[in-house]
Amino acid sequence: MIPRQFALATVILCCLAIGMSVYVWQLRRREALNPQPSVPAQHVSPPTLGPMEKVTVYVAYDDPGELRAQSISIPLSSGRQQRAEELLRGLLNIYLEKNSPHPLGAGSEVHDVYLVNQGIAVLDLNSAFVNGQTSGILAEELTVASMIQTLSTNIPGLMRVKILVDGKERETLAGHSDLSGFYDVSQVTALAKQLSAQ
Amino acid sequence: MRWNNTHQDRRIQRAAPWLIAAILGLSLQWLLFGQVTPPPVGPPGQVSLTQNSANQPSPNQASPSQVPANQAPANQPPTATQPATGQRTLLIMIDPAHGGTESGAVLNPVILEKDVTLALARRLRQQLITRGIQAQLVRDSDGILSVDQRAVLANAAQPALYISIHATSQGSGMRIYTAMLPASGDNSGPFVDWQSAQSASLARSRWAQGQLVAAVQKTGFPVRSLAAPLRPLNNITVPALALEIAPTTGDVSQLASADYQQMISAALANGVATLIPALRTKPESAP
Repeated sequence: MIPRQFALATVILCCLAIGMSVYVWQLRRREALNPQPSVPAQHVSPPTLGPMEKVTVYVAYDDPGELRAQSISIPLSSGRQQRAEELLRGLLNIYLEKNSPHPLGAGSEVHDVYLVNQGIAVLDLNSAFVNGQTSGILAEELTVASMIQTLSTNIPGLMRVKILVDGKERETLAGHSDLSGFYDVSQVTALAKQLSAQ
Repeated sequence: MRWNNTHQDRRIQRAAPWLIAAILGLSLQWLLFGQVTPPPVGPPGQVSLTQNSANQPSPNQASPSQVPANQAPANQPPTATQPATGQRTLLIMIDPAHGGTESGAVLNPVILEKDVTLALARRLRQQLITRGIQAQLVRDSDGILSVDQRAVLANAAQPALYISIHATSQGSGMRIYTAMLPASGDNSGPFVDWQSAQSASLARSRWAQGQLVAAVQKTGFPVRSLAAPLRPLNNITVPALALEIAPTTGDVSQLASADYQQMISAALANGVATLIPALRTKPESAP
């Protein structure tokens, strides 16, 4: 003979389990009917405390396939590494505008720029950057040349640049431009001249 | 009878080493020079001239081939420091980029870069063959090949020119690229650095790029020359170019049209045909 209190406790627990299952099922159904708008992961950069400075950035123009020097005013920190990050973010802001001359995917961001010894810079891009990059030899090399030429013009002593995606090495940017090795800044400067001289 | 047999055996035994030596010598000559020719007349070490030796500068003449690669005149290829050893069987290797699951650029929902490059490569091969130029495709189906595999195939075949074909929706006309690496790579020893294997042939690649651009410009087709950080160009040990074809009307479907592909492949084949006399010379690394 089962004691009465055990039978009662079992019945109450079963009712609770059934009730909770129904509640969860209703919650899931409500979620499926009203999906939340997907917000691209935005990189939250620290506020820049430095004064506004006029810098030269190299902006890619897809239509003629050119690289053009352009002056912009952005707040820049005094630290070399922070300056490099702010320069690239200033450049990306141009590409993320509505009427961009070289559109990049929504949410494209530079995670970090690391300036290490012997003139080496390592750029860490996010995956939205490469996923939104137009595939093509010229389109990809415009992106690469634009970033490296902007950095080398404003950060003296830069000799080689390596590009990572989400902290990892990647073979190509979007099927064409090679990211497996280092970019020699002098070669990119020569390429930028070719791309500007059209 | 027994005496005769023994006598014949001795004669065969005496002649056998000479016969074997002659066969080995002829085989070696065939392996080295591709054809059995009389030994060159001249001092040891001098390389015999070819059938088209009339077109070759004499060793005493100041020839463009003696100009360092980085100072080559615009109308002459930076090439051989020695006369050619034989009329080379010219092979143009055409590489339709991408393939298989690696489709390249999605030009529109139904046109993929890998399909356009393959169709264009086949037309270019046909155009070259009709001009009497031997041509071969790196891939002739929708198969997947890594860039390293493509480079290995090209380096093994040792073509006179390697052409990688790409297609894009951006821009207009054609872009012809050479590898983006230093002109003076340290590849003088027996082993070649894989990442800069192109460095020894870069001067000839740039010369071929200039000639091809000039030939295509004559047709009125928009064409532009650039360098590009593009593999496998860096890994190819022979003159190597990459072509990127874009529509001229802004309509991507033009890339898939037979007329457009035929026009481009004919212009390219004419351009490659102008390179042939210079490509026939034996490519030597620049000093």
